Amino acid sequence: MRISVMSQMQRSFSIDLPSLIPLQLPSRRHTHLWYVIPDEVKSTSLLKRYSQLLSQTEKDGVDQMRGDELKKNALLARTLVRTTVARYQTNKEVDPRSLMFKKNVYGKPEVDWQNCKNCNHQPLHFNISHTDSLIACGVTVHVPVGIDVEDKERKIKHDVLAFAKRFYSADEVNFLATIPDPEAQRKEFIKLWTLKEAYVKALGKGFSAAPFNTFTIQSIPGTEEGYSLCKTSEVTADPLEETKKCNGEWKFAPLELADSHYAAVCIEDDQANEGAPMRVIVRKTIPFVEDQLISERIFL
Amino acid sequence: MASLSATSLSFKAPSIQSTRISQVLRKASTFQSISFGRFQSSKSLRLQISCAAKPETVQKVSDIVKEQLALSADTALTAESKFSALGADSLDTVEIVMALEEKFNISVEEADAQNITTIQEAADLIEDLVQKKPAA
Repeated sequence: MRISVMSQMQRSFSIDLPSLIPLQLPSRRHTHLWYVIPDEVKSTSLLKRYSQLLSQTEKDGVDQMRGDELKKNALLARTLVRTTVARYQTNKEVDPRSLMFKKNVYGKPEVDWQNCKNCNHQPLHFNISHTDSLIACGVTVHVPVGIDVEDKERKIKHDVLAFAKRFYSADEVNFLATIPDPEAQRKEFIKLWTLKEAYVKALGKGFSAAPFNTFTIQSIPGTEEGYSLCKTSEVTADPLEETKKCNGEWKFAPLELADSHYAAVCIEDDQANEGAPMRVIVRKTIPFVEDQLISERIFL
Repeated sequence: MASLSATSLSFKAPSIQSTRISQVLRKASTFQSISFGRFQSSKSLRLQISCAAKPETVQKVSDIVKEQLALSADTALTAESKFSALGADSLDTVEIVMALEEKFNISVEEADAQNITTIQEAADLIEDLVQKKPAA
C-alpha cells in the first residue's frame, strides 16, 4: 500500500517534474521577490502539470476567469504562490500541492500551517501581485509584506491629476502637479500607486482601513529611492493645517522588473532591526524549469 | 355584390366595437390595480428599489466596464459578471468607480467602492446613491 502510493507520487512528481531547489528562508528585513512572465510559459503540458498542483477551490477560481489568457495567468499566479512557499520548506516530503491557504479576517491570503500535513510551521509571510504580463510573489520572515506591480506603459483613462485629486493625498497631488511633462507625470503616478498599494496590502486590513487619501508616501530627501509613509490627520484646531505623522514603521523598496514593470515592496519594520537596511533579492522563475537570480538590492 | 358589401360592413362594425370594449376593459383593469392593487403596486415598487437595479443602469455599467477593461464589443457581460473574472485589478476597479461617479454624478465612499465586485453590485449602489441625492 505504502509502496504503491510512493510510486504514484514519484510518477506524478519527481519523475515528470524536477524538484524545486530548496532555499533558506529570507533573513529578517530581507524580501525575496519571485516573478514569472506568462508569455514565457508556453508548454501546454507544463501548464497541465501546474494545474495538478492546485486545490479544487483554486481550480474553480481559474475556471471562473473569462478567456484563455486570464485563465492561464490565474493558474500561473496560484502555481507561483504554491511553488514559492514550498521552496522554503525544510521537510522534503512537502510538495506544493499539500500546502493549505486561508484568508485573514480582512481577506488577506495566508499560509494555513495548521491544516497542512507534514508542513513545518514557519513565520513566513507572502503577498502576490499580477498584471497581464508579469506575476510576482514576495516572501518575508516574521514581518508582513505587501507587493504591487504595474506595467510601466499602463495608460490611465482619466486625467492623471484629476484621478490623483480624487484618490491620493493632498501632498501627493501637489507633488504630481509639479511635474510638467504629462508622460513623466503618468509614470510617477504609477510608481506612487504601486507604493501605496503595497502598503495597504502589507497592512492586510483591506482598503477601507487605509483609504488612499489618508496617507502620503513621499521620497526621503537626499535619497534616490528612499520613501517614507506619512499619515495625514486633521486633529488640530485649525482645519487647514494637517498634521502629518511620518513614522518609520514601514519600509519601502521601489523597483523595476524585466524593464517592463514598476514594482514596490513594503514591509513592516521589525523593531529588532533598527537601522539595518532593507534588502530585496529578485529572482525570475518558470517553476520546475528555470530559476534565475536577477538582482540583490539594498534600500536604506 | 350587395351581400359582400353587407358582409364587409358587418365585419367592420364589431372591430370598432371590440376596440372600444377593450379600451374600456383596459381602463377598468388599471383602475382595479390602482384601487384594489394599491398595496400591490406600491409594494412591488418598493421591492424593485431595494432589489435589482434597472436594466438600463446595468447596461450603462457594463459599457463602462467594457471600456475600462478594453473588452471586445461582443464580450458577453451579465449582471453577475465579476470584475476580477474579467481581469480587473485594483487600479481598474478604482478607474471604473471614478467613471461611474462621473457618468451618474454621484460620490462613492471608499468602503462602498471596495464592496463592488460585480456589475449588479455596482448598478445597485449607483441607483441607491442616485435615489439619495436631494432633488435637483
